[in-house]
Amino acid sequence: MVEEIRSKAKELLKTKRVDIIIGYKRASDGVSATPAFVNTVEGADELIWDAYCTYNLSRYLNDFPGKKKGIVAKACDAKSIIVLLQENQLRREDIFVIGVECSGVIDEEKLRFGEGDADRIQFDQRCKGCDPSVYPICDLLIKDKGRAKTPGLEKDPYEAVRKFEVKSIQDRFNFWKEEFSRCIRCYACRGVCPSCYCPRCVADQTMPAWFSKATSFEGNFAWNVTRAIHLAGRCIDCGECERACPIGIPLRDINKKIEKDVKELFGYEAGLSDNGKPLFASFDKEDPEDFIR
Amino acid sequence: MMRVLTKEDLKKLINSLSNSFEVIGPKEIPNKGVFYSPITGGDELYMGDSFAIEPAKKFFLKPSCAILSEKPDGGFGLEDVGVPSDKRVIIGLRPCEARGLTLLDKIFDAEHKDKFYIEERSRTTLIGLACDKPDRGCFCTSMGGSPADGQGLDAIIFAAEGQYIVEVITDKGREIIGSTGKKLDDGEQKARKSDKKKRHDSVKTKITPPEGLDKMVDNDYWSEVSRACVSCGICTYLCPTCHCFDLVDEERKRLRCYDGCSFPDFTLEASGVNPRPTKKERYRQRVYHKFDYFKKNFGENLCVGCGRCIRYCPVKIDIAAIADGARV
Repeated sequence: MVEEIRSKAKELLKTKRVDIIIGYKRASDGVSATPAFVNTVEGADELIWDAYCTYNLSRYLNDFPGKKKGIVAKACDAKSIIVLLQENQLRREDIFVIGVECSGVIDEEKLRFGEGDADRIQFDQRCKGCDPSVYPICDLLIKDKGRAKTPGLEKDPYEAVRKFEVKSIQDRFNFWKEEFSRCIRCYACRGVCPSCYCPRCVADQTMPAWFSKATSFEGNFAWNVTRAIHLAGRCIDCGECERACPIGIPLRDINKKIEKDVKELFGYEAGLSDNGKPLFASFDKEDPEDFIR
Repeated sequence: MMRVLTKEDLKKLINSLSNSFEVIGPKEIPNKGVFYSPITGGDELYMGDSFAIEPAKKFFLKPSCAILSEKPDGGFGLEDVGVPSDKRVIIGLRPCEARGLTLLDKIFDAEHKDKFYIEERSRTTLIGLACDKPDRGCFCTSMGGSPADGQGLDAIIFAAEGQYIVEVITDKGREIIGSTGKKLDDGEQKARKSDKKKRHDSVKTKITPPEGLDKMVDNDYWSEVSRACVSCGICTYLCPTCHCFDLVDEERKRLRCYDGCSFPDFTLEASGVNPRPTKKERYRQRVYHKFDYFKKNFGENLCVGCGRCIRYCPVKIDIAAIADGARV
């Protein structure tokens, strides 16, 4: 697969179909991956592809205005690209999507003290809810011939949400109170998220300041909840926010809850088709409204 | 002074300290990692190989610290906020972090005397824990430290075959350790030296800190190395030496909150001008503050090689490799 990615990247750069390829290269530790930005044919030789390629690279697509971009995209990156196209953040003709069949990415936490032995690869929890055969956009799909069986699609991706939903409101509040109280407000969740592209984030505004800048429960709660709600119908559950969070707040649990509500109430799933309008840009008179009181 | 403590001795020591001290130490939160937190009993203390995610800096420079508040009687004006004076001990602190505090002293306890920092420092005794298993991110030996280094510590604990050897460094350390455990035999004293060397050599990542960075301010290198940066605050907030802050007025209090050069709005001026408009300028600032400006002002690099910014960078940007590669 790596060779196919490299040769396609070279061809795209050589023919000037794209100006830059956004992909993965080996990180300085010799094991992990780090984003690569390749703009020369020779440079394409540093591109790699394996289970360490965890990032959602679509986050970088708008870092190169006016340039044609090629991107190495897993299924989750592809879904994010759909969202960006739907929201007019990208022009289809400016990007070339090199789809790569993904069998799941590693769980970094579990590898921190390991030596990167392939037998020890433990797939990240987030990959268990992803069906990589759903590949909503790509100009070329590079197949994984020796592909291991996918980590195993969960029967019910919302099992954890359902278990949590039945708890009392006080229990649920206490759970999130404890989690959010630990937030250090580093905004890494925002930084890695392809859908967090607001030029001036609500958290950065000072006049007025919409919520407390201090690391206190009030400000932390407001930040995390605001971000979650802003991603309603837009989050494709790549799980990058949860992976990036240095102190381990289970952010996917909130995203999954909202995803489930959106699906049940509006029959909408983000990132599947660029034909439809985004959830919040569409209105149907059949939309449920009994939750508005 | 060297003492040998059994695991039971250490537990008892912590339990007895809890009566007169606020005790803080590494604590494991399942599936999340190790965090410095208040310890109520010896059983809670985590003495394993994992490093705390957040540095102990947060006990000296709080993420949000009230420095002024409205007068309590409702009268006009502001008054200083006090600092608690009860004695505190941090047990299990890593040597690199203690070294980080000695660097912060050069800022907050020098020409300018920051009472919040100084009072937090003086009420705290630091009992370190020498590292057994530095990971790939650790490069302390390249930055003037060592996994067995006592700089900035009042005492340091070496875990050794089911027991703890404690080296007392200062009077504050003596006050805590006292006569716990038993004295180390003269014969074993010698073995300490080779143990320290072994620990020193266990740090595999080595770099040469850059020199003469002012000659490469405009180099494209900074655009290249910062391209993957997602502009979050992990590297600065988790750094034991990063200390930049923002002043915020909230609820009739003036707060000093963490802030960092990686955020786009850190240097955004009221006019709308941002002198560090892109990731290039912002990432370069972090490297220059650590390896150039601070060195010019205080004679040392503002980095202790703890590896946190490498370990937790969401996209694996590696300051050790970047500093090592910054050559004119």
